[in-house]
Amino acid sequence: MRIVLDRPRCEGHGLCEEAAPRLMHLDDEGELVLDREEVDGPDAALARAAARVCPVAALRVA
Amino acid sequence: MSAAALRRVVVVGNGIAGITAADTLREAGFDGELTVVGDERHPAYSRPALSKALLLDGDDDGAAHTLPPATHGATELLGVRATGLDTDRRLVTLDDGTALPYDGVVLATGSRARRLSALPDEVTLRGLDDALELRRRLADRPSVLVVGGGPLGMEIASGCLASGCRVTLVSQGEPLAAQLGPYLARVLTAAGREKGLTVVETGAARIEGTPGDARVVLAEGAELGAEVLLSAVGDVPNTEWLHGTGLVVDGAVPVDERGLARPGIAAVGDLAVFPTSRGRRRVPLWSSAIDQAKVAARALVHGADAPPLAFRPYFWTEQFGRTLKAVGHLPADGEPEYVDGGPDGPALMTWCQEDGGTTAVALDYRIPIPRLRRLSRAAA
Repeated sequence: MRIVLDRPRCEGHGLCEEAAPRLMHLDDEGELVLDREEVDGPDAALARAAARVCPVAALRVA
Repeated sequence: MSAAALRRVVVVGNGIAGITAADTLREAGFDGELTVVGDERHPAYSRPALSKALLLDGDDDGAAHTLPPATHGATELLGVRATGLDTDRRLVTLDDGTALPYDGVVLATGSRARRLSALPDEVTLRGLDDALELRRRLADRPSVLVVGGGPLGMEIASGCLASGCRVTLVSQGEPLAAQLGPYLARVLTAAGREKGLTVVETGAARIEGTPGDARVVLAEGAELGAEVLLSAVGDVPNTEWLHGTGLVVDGAVPVDERGLARPGIAAVGDLAVFPTSRGRRRVPLWSSAIDQAKVAARALVHGADAPPLAFRPYFWTEQFGRTLKAVGHLPADGEPEYVDGGPDGPALMTWCQEDGGTTAVALDYRIPIPRLRRLSRAAA
């Protein structure tokens, strides 16, 4: 599974980071950084949880 | 109740609260029969986007704000409405005549727009269909009258202005003052006026008239009309289907600090009244629904071993070209302390609240929310 970020859509709410801190974080500028893009197993579930809480639907797990 | 005794769970509601509860039940180890009931036919979508990006994005049929497909493996019954809950026999009854047995149930039917009249002229924005219909009407650039000076009313007014409409907003007192406090209200209302928003402050407003000829009547006696008449005057929890259960108090469902109304019965999202540092209240916000749903789902599976809600509200709004993100309780009274920036530009601010908590606000200021959270502090 791969995490896909629609960067123009991201508004930096950071709810994804709170859901999956080991997969992604917002940098000092508030830009989302994907620390891991390829995920499987428990990480895939975390990635989906992160995508789910995004209020602007900027994340997909495909 | 242990996970072993929990074989069947029904989640009533397919908004962010319902699906977060369903997901979390699985994460918490529930591997029994899971059913999600939703009265909208649409797949779950982002509600905050409806009054923001969706109003402006002409190509978006809502699909761009559809939430990722569910992975909880539940049986999804969409376009079906729950009509009753029998807590003795443990059944959820549906409007198609079926009854779903449960060991645990999650009440997540949310709320609907409060209305000022029964006139069809009065438009509200609550669901995806409402937003798509409003956007269709805005394409002709009608004159718009928005009744309601809360965040939703202001976001709608902003979207209508950006669509090229002439917009008047009727507000009980200064817009946003009751929700955000005087400082932030002043900033955002000034931004609205600069964009051409006409603000009418009044003691109270009614909507009167006949279908096709509705008007807004102010407490002071003046009457206003427009081609599109919108109201954004709060929400009403959808709890009628719980009639007779004893679960509903003053129209909402009180729950404990783990989101449980009773053993085996959780209530999450806009219909739930839960304990906060400022007393028991509904907090109908996106992040609140998510936090409540996670806690309550774990409580259904693990009972009192599950952690209680440590709720710290996160709120954001976009209007008139400005963006505001806040962690901590609002309204924020008085003047802020500036962590960065100043009164006229982008700013990072904090308010020390009377209860000992600190509210942190980023205005036109991009900041990771975890950092904003660190600047805020829960009340002692």
